Amino acid sequence: MSTTLVSQSLVKAKSLSCPNCGTPIELRGFAHTLSAVCPSCLSILDASNPELQILQTYQGKERIEPKIPLGSRGTFNGTVYELIGFEQRSVQTPDDYFSWDEYLLFNPYKGFRYISEYCGHWNVIRVQSRVPYPTTARGRRGWVLDARKFAAFDAMQAATSYVIGEFPWQVRLGETAACEDFIAPPYMLSSETTAGETTWSLGEYWEGSKIWQAFRLPGKPPSPQGIFANQVSPYAGKTGAAWRMWLWFNVALFTLMTIFNLTKANKEVFHDEYSYAYFKNHDTSFVTPAFQLDGVNKNVEVRFHADIRNDWIYLSMALINDETGQTFDFAREVSYYVDSDGSEGSRDNRVVIPSVPAGRYYLRIEPEMVTGALSTRYEISVRRDVPIYSYFWIAAALLLIPPIVTWFRSNQFEARRWRESDYRPVDSPVMKIAGGIIESLGDD
Amino acid sequence: MNNPLFLLYGVLLLGATGYLEYTGKSFDRINQQRVLPKSIRDNPGAYRSTYGGYSRYIGGK
Repeated sequence: MSTTLVSQSLVKAKSLSCPNCGTPIELRGFAHTLSAVCPSCLSILDASNPELQILQTYQGKERIEPKIPLGSRGTFNGTVYELIGFEQRSVQTPDDYFSWDEYLLFNPYKGFRYISEYCGHWNVIRVQSRVPYPTTARGRRGWVLDARKFAAFDAMQAATSYVIGEFPWQVRLGETAACEDFIAPPYMLSSETTAGETTWSLGEYWEGSKIWQAFRLPGKPPSPQGIFANQVSPYAGKTGAAWRMWLWFNVALFTLMTIFNLTKANKEVFHDEYSYAYFKNHDTSFVTPAFQLDGVNKNVEVRFHADIRNDWIYLSMALINDETGQTFDFAREVSYYVDSDGSEGSRDNRVVIPSVPAGRYYLRIEPEMVTGALSTRYEISVRRDVPIYSYFWIAAALLLIPPIVTWFRSNQFEARRWRESDYRPVDSPVMKIAGGIIESLGDD
Repeated sequence: MNNPLFLLYGVLLLGATGYLEYTGKSFDRINQQRVLPKSIRDNPGAYRSTYGGYSRYIGGK
Protein backbone atom coordinates (compact mmCIF):
# COMPACT_ATOMS: atom_id res chain seq x y z
CA MET A 1 0.00 0.00 0.00
CA SER A 2 1.20 3.43 -0.74
CA THR A 3 -0.11 6.92 -0.17
CA THR A 4 0.09 10.04 -2.28
CA LEU A 5 2.96 11.09 0.00
CA VAL A 6 5.18 8.32 -1.29
CA SER A 7 6.32 7.91 -4.88
CA GLN A 8 7.53 4.66 -6.35
CA SER A 9 10.86 3.55 -4.91
CA LEU A 10 13.78 3.24 -7.29
CA VAL A 11 16.06 1.57 -4.77
CA LYS A 12 15.73 -2.03 -3.77
CA ALA A 13 14.05 -1.77 -0.40
CA LYS A 14 13.63 -3.98 2.65
CA SER A 15 9.88 -4.71 3.22
CA LEU A 16 8.27 -4.96 6.67
CA SER A 17 4.79 -4.44 8.06
CA CYS A 18 3.49 -1.84 10.48
CA PRO A 19 2.60 -3.59 13.79
CA ASN A 20 -0.12 -0.97 14.35
CA CYS A 21 -2.08 -1.12 11.08
CA GLY A 22 -0.38 -3.82 9.04
CA THR A 23 0.63 -1.53 6.21
CA PRO A 24 3.76 -2.76 4.40
CA ILE A 25 6.74 -0.50 4.99
CA GLU A 26 9.73 -0.31 2.70
CA LEU A 27 13.05 0.69 4.20
CA ARG A 28 15.48 2.29 1.76
CA GLY A 29 18.12 3.34 4.27
CA PHE A 30 19.26 -0.22 4.89
CA ALA A 31 21.04 -0.69 8.22
CA HIS A 32 21.26 3.07 8.68
CA THR A 33 17.54 3.38 9.38
CA LEU A 34 16.85 3.47 13.10
CA SER A 35 13.24 4.66 12.94
CA ALA A 36 10.54 4.63 10.31
CA VAL A 37 7.10 6.14 10.04
CA CYS A 38 4.16 4.13 8.78
CA PRO A 39 2.82 5.98 5.74
CA SER A 40 -0.72 4.95 6.63
CA CYS A 41 -1.18 5.49 10.39
CA LEU A 42 1.95 7.66 10.87
CA SER A 43 3.11 5.56 13.85
CA ILE A 44 6.80 5.93 14.53
CA LEU A 45 8.46 2.51 14.55
CA ASP A 46 11.78 1.26 15.85
CA ALA A 47 13.53 -0.01 12.72
CA SER A 48 16.65 -1.19 14.51
CA ASN A 49 15.13 -4.65 14.88
CA PRO A 50 12.85 -6.68 12.55
CA GLU A 51 9.90 -6.59 14.99
CA LEU A 52 9.35 -2.87 14.28
CA GLN A 53 8.22 -1.92 17.76
CA ILE A 54 5.95 1.10 18.00
CA LEU A 55 7.85 4.01 19.51
CA GLN A 56 5.11 6.60 19.19
CA THR A 57 1.68 6.80 17.65
CA TYR A 58 0.54 9.85 15.78
CA GLN A 59 -2.25 11.71 17.59
CA GLY A 60 -2.61 14.61 15.20
CA LYS A 61 -5.29 14.85 12.54
CA GLU A 62 -3.41 16.86 9.95
CA ARG A 63 -1.38 15.12 7.29
CA ILE A 64 1.28 17.23 5.67
CA GLU A 65 2.22 16.56 2.09
CA PRO A 66 5.91 17.19 1.42
CA LYS A 67 6.58 19.48 -1.54
CA ILE A 68 8.98 16.81 -2.84
CA PRO A 69 7.44 13.31 -2.69
CA LEU A 70 9.21 10.61 -0.68
CA GLY A 71 11.13 8.27 -2.94
CA SER A 72 12.07 11.07 -5.36
CA ARG A 73 15.60 10.91 -6.65
CA GLY A 74 17.71 14.00 -7.06
CA THR A 75 21.22 14.63 -8.34
CA PHE A 76 23.50 16.76 -6.20
CA ASN A 77 27.09 17.35 -7.27
CA GLY A 78 26.84 14.39 -9.63
CA THR A 79 25.57 11.98 -6.96
CA VAL A 80 22.05 10.59 -7.01
CA TYR A 81 20.24 10.66 -3.67
CA GLU A 82 16.84 9.29 -2.76
CA LEU A 83 14.47 11.18 -0.54
CA ILE A 84 13.66 8.83 2.32
CA GLY A 85 12.40 11.05 5.14
CA PHE A 86 10.54 14.26 5.79
CA GLU A 87 10.06 16.16 9.00
CA GLN A 88 8.55 19.46 9.91
CA ARG A 89 10.13 21.39 12.73
CA SER A 90 8.58 24.30 14.51
CA VAL A 91 9.43 27.04 16.95
CA GLN A 92 6.86 28.28 19.42
CA THR A 93 7.47 31.39 21.45
CA PRO A 94 4.98 33.55 23.38
CA ASP A 95 5.05 36.01 20.46
CA ASP A 96 5.64 33.87 17.44
CA TYR A 97 5.18 30.51 15.77
CA PHE A 98 6.90 29.35 12.64
CA SER A 99 7.94 26.08 11.06
CA TRP A 100 10.14 24.77 8.30
CA ASP A 101 10.48 21.51 6.41
CA GLU A 102 13.46 19.19 6.34
CA TYR A 103 13.98 16.45 3.77
CA LEU A 104 16.35 13.55 4.36
CA LEU A 105 18.26 12.24 1.33
CA PHE A 106 20.21 8.99 1.18
CA ASN A 107 22.79 7.45 -1.09
CA PRO A 108 24.13 4.00 -0.09
CA TYR A 109 27.71 5.07 -0.87
CA LYS A 110 27.73 8.75 0.04
CA GLY A 111 25.45 8.66 3.08
CA PHE A 112 22.95 11.34 4.04
CA ARG A 113 22.17 14.86 2.91
CA TYR A 114 19.42 17.16 4.08
CA ILE A 115 17.36 19.78 2.36
CA SER A 116 15.53 22.44 4.33
CA GLU A 117 12.79 24.70 3.06
CA TYR A 118 11.30 27.80 4.63
CA CYS A 119 8.90 30.08 2.75
CA GLY A 120 10.31 29.03 -0.62
CA HIS A 121 13.97 29.31 0.47
CA TRP A 122 15.98 26.10 0.13
CA ASN A 123 19.24 24.88 1.67
CA VAL A 124 21.19 21.74 0.82
CA ILE A 125 22.82 20.59 4.04
CA ARG A 126 25.64 18.28 5.04
CA VAL A 127 26.36 17.19 8.59
CA GLN A 128 29.94 18.11 9.48
CA SER A 129 32.39 15.80 11.14
CA ARG A 130 34.74 18.77 11.57
CA VAL A 131 34.27 21.19 14.41
CA PRO A 132 34.55 24.89 13.59
CA TYR A 133 36.64 27.14 15.78
CA PRO A 134 35.24 30.18 17.52
CA THR A 135 35.84 33.75 16.37
CA THR A 136 34.18 37.15 16.29
CA ALA A 137 32.17 38.14 13.22
CA ARG A 138 30.26 41.41 12.71
CA GLY A 139 31.16 42.32 16.28
CA ARG A 140 29.57 39.26 17.84
CA ARG A 141 30.06 35.55 18.32
CA GLY A 142 30.95 33.57 15.23
CA TRP A 143 32.73 30.50 13.94
CA VAL A 144 35.29 29.73 11.27
CA LEU A 145 34.92 26.73 8.97
CA ASP A 146 36.75 26.21 5.66
CA ALA A 147 38.35 29.66 6.10
CA ARG A 148 34.87 31.21 6.08
CA LYS A 149 33.79 33.39 8.96
CA PHE A 150 30.19 32.76 10.04
CA ALA A 151 28.32 35.43 12.01
CA ALA A 152 25.67 34.60 14.60
CA PHE A 153 22.21 35.06 13.12
CA ASP A 154 19.64 33.49 15.41
CA ALA A 155 19.06 30.88 18.11
CA MET A 156 15.91 28.94 18.88
CA GLN A 157 14.44 25.90 20.54
CA ALA A 158 13.06 23.79 17.67
CA ALA A 159 10.61 20.92 18.09
CA THR A 160 9.85 18.09 15.68
CA SER A 161 6.19 18.53 14.82
CA TYR A 162 5.63 16.08 11.95
CA VAL A 163 7.54 13.14 10.47
CA ILE A 164 7.14 10.67 7.66
CA GLY A 165 9.56 8.24 6.01
CA GLU A 166 12.61 6.84 7.74
CA PHE A 167 15.46 8.31 9.72
CA PRO A 168 18.94 7.30 10.88
CA TRP A 169 18.08 8.30 14.44
CA GLN A 170 15.28 7.55 16.90
CA VAL A 171 12.93 10.29 15.82
CA ARG A 172 10.15 11.47 18.18
CA LEU A 173 7.39 14.01 17.76
CA GLY A 174 7.81 16.88 20.22
CA GLU A 175 11.52 16.21 20.53
CA THR A 176 13.34 19.52 20.98
CA ALA A 177 16.82 20.72 20.17
CA ALA A 178 18.64 23.97 20.80
CA CYS A 179 19.52 25.32 17.37
CA GLU A 180 21.82 28.17 16.43
CA ASP A 181 22.46 29.53 12.96
CA PHE A 182 25.56 31.36 11.77
CA ILE A 183 25.75 32.80 8.29
CA ALA A 184 28.25 33.57 5.57
CA PRO A 185 25.99 33.75 2.48
CA PRO A 186 25.41 31.53 0.60
CA TYR A 187 26.42 29.25 3.48
CA MET A 188 24.83 28.66 6.84
CA LEU A 189 26.53 26.88 9.68
CA SER A 190 24.06 25.41 12.15
CA SER A 191 24.54 23.78 15.50
CA GLU A 192 21.97 21.49 17.05
CA THR A 193 22.34 20.51 20.66
CA THR A 194 20.41 17.69 22.33
CA ALA A 195 21.29 16.13 25.67
CA GLY A 196 24.75 17.67 25.72
CA GLU A 197 25.61 16.52 22.21
CA THR A 198 26.19 19.13 19.52
CA THR A 199 25.96 18.42 15.82
CA TRP A 200 27.29 20.88 13.25
CA SER A 201 25.90 21.08 9.75
CA LEU A 202 26.72 23.26 6.77
CA GLY A 203 23.94 24.42 4.50
CA GLU A 204 24.22 26.04 1.10
CA TYR A 205 21.45 28.25 -0.26
CA TRP A 206 19.84 26.91 -3.42
CA GLU A 207 17.23 28.53 -5.61
CA GLY A 208 13.98 26.57 -5.68
CA SER A 209 14.32 26.15 -9.44
CA LYS A 210 17.66 24.34 -8.94
CA ILE A 211 16.05 21.96 -6.42
CA TRP A 212 13.22 21.30 -8.89
CA GLN A 213 15.79 20.70 -11.61
CA ALA A 214 17.82 18.34 -9.40
CA PHE A 215 14.71 16.22 -8.72
CA ARG A 216 13.25 16.73 -12.23
CA LEU A 217 10.00 17.79 -10.58
CA PRO A 218 7.12 19.01 -12.70
CA GLY A 219 5.80 22.57 -12.34
CA LYS A 220 7.45 25.39 -10.48
CA PRO A 221 8.75 25.63 -6.91
CA PRO A 222 6.90 27.88 -4.46
CA SER A 223 7.93 31.52 -4.80
CA PRO A 224 10.31 32.63 -2.04
CA GLN A 225 8.83 35.05 0.48
CA GLY A 226 11.02 37.69 2.11
CA ILE A 227 14.77 37.40 2.43
CA PHE A 228 16.36 34.33 3.98
CA ALA A 229 19.31 34.33 6.37
CA ASN A 230 21.92 33.02 3.94
CA GLN A 231 20.27 34.12 0.70
CA VAL A 232 22.83 35.62 -1.64
CA SER A 233 22.33 39.33 -2.06
CA PRO A 234 21.66 40.25 -5.70
CA TYR A 235 23.92 43.24 -4.99
CA ALA A 236 26.84 41.16 -3.63
CA GLY A 237 30.02 42.53 -5.19
CA LYS A 238 28.07 45.05 -7.25
CA THR A 239 28.63 48.00 -4.93
CA GLY A 240 32.41 47.68 -5.17
CA ALA A 241 32.20 47.11 -8.93
CA ALA A 242 29.98 50.18 -9.31
CA TRP A 243 32.45 52.36 -7.38
CA ARG A 244 35.33 51.00 -9.44
CA MET A 245 33.44 51.83 -12.64
CA TRP A 246 32.63 55.27 -11.23
CA LEU A 247 36.34 55.81 -10.69
CA TRP A 248 37.16 54.85 -14.29
CA PHE A 249 34.44 57.12 -15.65
CA ASN A 250 35.84 59.97 -13.60
CA VAL A 251 39.29 59.32 -15.03
CA ALA A 252 37.75 59.41 -18.52
CA LEU A 253 35.82 62.57 -17.66
CA PHE A 254 38.93 64.29 -16.32
CA THR A 255 40.84 63.25 -19.47
CA LEU A 256 38.04 64.65 -21.63
CA MET A 257 38.08 67.90 -19.66
CA THR A 258 41.86 68.18 -20.04
CA ILE A 259 41.65 67.58 -23.80
CA PHE A 260 38.99 70.27 -24.27
CA ASN A 261 40.87 72.63 -22.01
CA LEU A 262 43.98 72.21 -24.16
CA THR A 263 42.25 72.35 -27.53
CA LYS A 264 39.77 75.19 -26.94
CA ALA A 265 41.03 78.54 -28.29
CA ASN A 266 39.75 80.44 -25.22
CA LYS A 267 40.91 83.69 -26.83
CA GLU A 268 40.05 87.19 -25.59
CA VAL A 269 38.78 89.19 -28.55
CA PHE A 270 37.52 92.28 -26.76
CA HIS A 271 38.07 94.01 -23.42
CA ASP A 272 37.14 97.52 -22.29
CA GLU A 273 36.23 99.58 -19.24
CA TYR A 274 33.24 101.89 -18.90
CA SER A 275 31.62 104.01 -16.26
CA TYR A 276 27.98 104.65 -15.53
CA ALA A 277 26.40 107.71 -13.96
CA TYR A 278 22.70 108.38 -13.55
CA PHE A 279 21.20 111.23 -15.50
CA LYS A 280 17.45 111.67 -15.58
CA ASN A 281 15.87 110.85 -18.99
CA HIS A 282 19.30 110.14 -20.44
CA ASP A 283 19.74 107.28 -22.95
CA THR A 284 22.51 105.12 -21.51
CA SER A 285 22.86 102.72 -24.44
CA PHE A 286 26.00 102.67 -26.57
CA VAL A 287 27.90 100.32 -28.87
CA THR A 288 31.45 99.00 -28.67
CA PRO A 289 34.01 98.92 -31.47
CA ALA A 290 33.72 95.86 -33.73
CA PHE A 291 35.84 92.79 -33.09
CA GLN A 292 36.51 89.63 -35.07
CA LEU A 293 35.17 86.20 -34.07
CA ASP A 294 36.99 83.33 -35.80
CA GLY A 295 36.16 79.64 -35.98
CA VAL A 296 32.97 77.90 -37.08
CA ASN A 297 30.01 78.21 -34.73
CA LYS A 298 32.08 78.34 -31.55
CA ASN A 299 30.72 79.76 -28.34
CA VAL A 300 31.34 83.27 -27.02
CA GLU A 301 31.71 84.20 -23.38
CA VAL A 302 30.90 87.74 -22.23
CA ARG A 303 32.24 88.57 -18.76
CA PHE A 304 31.23 91.50 -16.57
CA HIS A 305 32.96 93.01 -13.59
CA ALA A 306 31.61 96.05 -11.74
CA ASP A 307 33.23 97.99 -8.88
CA ILE A 308 30.09 98.07 -6.77
CA ARG A 309 29.37 97.68 -3.07
CA ASN A 310 25.86 97.32 -1.66
CA ASP A 311 24.57 98.12 -5.10
CA TRP A 312 23.58 96.55 -8.41
CA ILE A 313 24.02 97.24 -12.08
CA TYR A 314 21.84 95.69 -14.76
CA LEU A 315 23.27 95.27 -18.27
CA SER A 316 20.97 94.68 -21.24
CA MET A 317 23.24 93.61 -24.06
CA ALA A 318 23.19 92.46 -27.66
CA LEU A 319 25.97 90.83 -29.64
CA ILE A 320 25.33 92.04 -33.18
CA ASN A 321 26.92 90.83 -36.42
CA ASP A 322 28.11 93.96 -38.16
CA GLU A 323 27.61 92.43 -41.61
CA THR A 324 24.42 90.35 -41.37
CA GLY A 325 22.59 92.06 -38.52
CA GLN A 326 22.21 88.71 -36.68
CA THR A 327 21.72 89.54 -33.03
CA PHE A 328 22.15 87.60 -29.76
CA ASP A 329 20.21 89.43 -27.09
CA PHE A 330 20.89 88.84 -23.38
CA ALA A 331 21.10 90.59 -20.03
CA ARG A 332 22.86 90.08 -16.72
CA GLU A 333 22.80 91.71 -13.34
CA VAL A 334 25.84 92.25 -11.19
CA SER A 335 24.95 92.82 -7.55
CA TYR A 336 27.09 92.76 -4.46
CA TYR A 337 26.06 93.42 -0.87
CA VAL A 338 28.20 93.24 2.23
CA ASP A 339 27.74 93.93 5.93
CA SER A 340 28.98 92.60 9.25
CA ASP A 341 27.15 89.29 8.67
CA GLY A 342 29.03 88.63 5.44
CA SER A 343 28.56 89.20 1.76
CA GLU A 344 25.95 88.27 -0.83
CA GLY A 345 26.20 88.24 -4.60
CA SER A 346 29.30 88.93 -6.65
CA ARG A 347 30.98 91.75 -8.51
CA ASP A 348 31.36 89.37 -11.50
CA ASN A 349 28.94 87.66 -13.84
CA ARG A 350 29.14 85.96 -17.20
CA VAL A 351 27.09 84.65 -20.05
CA VAL A 352 28.01 82.05 -22.68
CA ILE A 353 26.40 82.41 -26.09
CA PRO A 354 26.44 79.09 -27.99
CA SER A 355 27.18 78.54 -31.67
CA VAL A 356 28.05 82.02 -32.84
CA PRO A 357 29.05 82.09 -36.54
CA ALA A 358 32.37 83.68 -37.47
CA GLY A 359 32.33 87.34 -38.47
CA ARG A 360 32.74 90.91 -37.23
CA TYR A 361 30.62 91.73 -34.22
CA TYR A 362 30.00 94.58 -31.84
CA LEU A 363 28.16 94.83 -28.54
CA ARG A 364 25.23 97.09 -27.86
CA ILE A 365 25.20 97.81 -24.10
CA GLU A 366 22.47 99.43 -22.06
CA PRO A 367 23.46 99.73 -18.38
CA GLU A 368 20.95 100.52 -15.67
CA MET A 369 21.38 101.31 -11.98
CA VAL A 370 19.27 102.61 -9.15
CA THR A 371 17.98 106.17 -9.52
CA GLY A 372 20.63 108.67 -8.46
CA ALA A 373 23.51 106.19 -8.63
CA LEU A 374 26.98 107.70 -8.56
CA SER A 375 29.55 107.04 -11.24
CA THR A 376 30.37 103.34 -11.32
CA ARG A 377 33.18 101.70 -13.21
CA TYR A 378 32.59 98.36 -14.94
CA GLU A 379 34.52 96.12 -17.34
CA ILE A 380 33.35 93.93 -20.19
CA SER A 381 35.43 91.28 -21.87
CA VAL A 382 34.60 88.88 -24.71
CA ARG A 383 36.29 85.50 -25.20
CA ARG A 384 35.89 83.11 -28.12
CA ASP A 385 35.66 79.29 -27.81
CA VAL A 386 35.77 78.85 -24.04
CA PRO A 387 35.57 75.54 -22.18
CA ILE A 388 32.45 75.14 -20.00
CA TYR A 389 33.51 73.30 -16.85
CA SER A 390 29.99 73.14 -15.44
CA TYR A 391 29.18 70.26 -17.83
CA PHE A 392 31.95 68.21 -16.27
CA TRP A 393 30.83 68.93 -12.72
CA ILE A 394 27.23 68.04 -13.66
CA ALA A 395 28.45 64.83 -15.35
CA ALA A 396 30.58 63.98 -12.31
CA ALA A 397 27.55 64.48 -10.05
CA LEU A 398 25.30 62.38 -12.34
CA LEU A 399 27.94 59.62 -12.38
CA LEU A 400 27.50 59.30 -8.62
CA ILE A 401 23.88 58.17 -8.98
CA PRO A 402 24.41 54.48 -9.99
CA PRO A 403 26.96 53.58 -7.27
CA ILE A 404 24.95 55.40 -4.60
CA VAL A 405 21.74 53.66 -5.69
CA THR A 406 23.53 50.28 -5.74
CA TRP A 407 25.04 50.91 -2.32
CA PHE A 408 21.66 51.99 -0.93
CA ARG A 409 19.86 48.94 -2.35
CA SER A 410 22.56 46.61 -1.05
CA ASN A 411 22.23 48.15 2.41
CA GLN A 412 18.45 47.85 2.24
CA PHE A 413 18.77 44.17 1.32
CA GLU A 414 21.14 43.49 4.22
CA ALA A 415 18.91 45.46 6.60
CA ARG A 416 15.94 43.29 5.57
CA ARG A 417 18.05 40.14 6.05
CA TRP A 418 19.17 41.11 9.54
CA ARG A 419 15.71 42.35 10.54
CA GLU A 420 14.76 38.63 10.67
CA SER A 421 17.64 37.79 12.99
CA ASP A 422 18.18 38.02 16.72
CA TYR A 423 20.46 40.96 15.92
CA ARG A 424 18.06 43.25 14.10
CA PRO A 425 19.63 46.59 13.31
CA VAL A 426 18.55 49.57 15.36
CA ASP A 427 16.82 52.24 13.29
CA SER A 428 18.73 55.52 13.07
CA PRO A 429 17.25 58.54 14.93
CA VAL A 430 16.30 60.06 11.58
CA MET A 431 14.41 56.91 10.62
CA LYS A 432 12.71 56.89 14.03
CA ILE A 433 11.59 60.51 13.57
CA ALA A 434 10.43 59.77 10.02
CA GLY A 435 8.57 56.70 11.30
CA GLY A 436 6.98 58.78 14.08
CA ILE A 437 5.80 61.42 11.61
CA ILE A 438 4.32 58.78 9.31
CA GLU A 439 2.61 57.14 12.31
CA SER A 440 1.11 60.44 13.53
CA LEU A 441 -0.15 61.21 10.02
CA GLY A 442 -1.75 57.78 9.99
CA ASP A 443 -3.49 58.53 13.32
CA ASP A 444 -5.06 61.67 11.86
CA MET B 1 31.43 43.76 -16.61
CA ASN B 2 28.64 43.05 -14.15
CA ASN B 3 26.83 46.35 -14.54
CA PRO B 4 26.08 46.90 -18.24
CA LEU B 5 23.41 49.51 -17.49
CA PHE B 6 25.88 51.67 -15.59
CA LEU B 7 28.38 51.20 -18.42
CA LEU B 8 25.82 52.37 -20.97
CA TYR B 9 24.71 55.24 -18.71
CA GLY B 10 28.32 56.38 -18.17
CA VAL B 11 29.22 56.16 -21.86
CA LEU B 12 26.11 58.14 -22.84
CA LEU B 13 26.83 60.71 -20.14
CA LEU B 14 30.42 61.14 -21.28
CA GLY B 15 29.27 61.29 -24.89
CA ALA B 16 26.70 63.97 -24.06
CA THR B 17 29.27 65.96 -22.08
CA GLY B 18 31.73 65.77 -24.95
CA TYR B 19 29.05 66.78 -27.47
CA LEU B 20 27.89 69.77 -25.39
CA GLU B 21 31.47 70.88 -24.82
CA TYR B 22 32.50 70.41 -28.46
CA THR B 23 29.51 72.29 -29.85
CA GLY B 24 29.82 74.99 -27.18
CA LYS B 25 26.17 74.60 -26.14
CA SER B 26 25.01 76.74 -23.29
CA PHE B 27 21.96 76.75 -21.05
CA ASP B 28 22.21 80.52 -20.63
CA ARG B 29 19.14 82.55 -21.54
CA ILE B 30 19.89 84.02 -24.95
CA ASN B 31 17.39 85.48 -27.41
CA GLN B 32 18.46 85.34 -31.03
CA GLN B 33 17.16 87.83 -33.59
CA ARG B 34 17.93 87.33 -37.24
CA VAL B 35 17.56 90.73 -38.83
CA LEU B 36 18.52 94.01 -37.28
CA PRO B 37 18.92 97.23 -39.25
CA LYS B 38 22.47 98.56 -39.56
CA SER B 39 21.24 101.88 -38.28
CA ILE B 40 21.43 100.46 -34.73
CA ARG B 41 25.20 100.95 -34.86
CA ASP B 42 24.66 104.69 -35.28
CA ASN B 43 21.58 104.91 -33.07
CA PRO B 44 21.83 102.31 -30.28
CA GLY B 45 18.93 103.87 -28.37
CA ALA B 46 16.55 102.76 -31.14
CA TYR B 47 17.06 99.13 -30.20
CA ARG B 48 14.59 97.59 -27.76
CA SER B 49 16.18 94.75 -25.85
CA THR B 50 14.12 91.64 -25.11
CA TYR B 51 15.42 91.86 -21.55
CA GLY B 52 14.82 95.59 -21.15
CA GLY B 53 11.91 94.96 -18.79
CA TYR B 54 13.63 92.08 -17.01
CA SER B 55 12.68 92.11 -13.34
CA ARG B 56 15.96 92.65 -11.52
CA TYR B 57 16.95 92.25 -7.94
CA ILE B 58 16.69 95.52 -6.07
CA GLY B 59 16.88 94.24 -2.55
CA GLY B 60 20.07 93.58 -0.68
CA LYS B 61 21.27 92.93 2.77
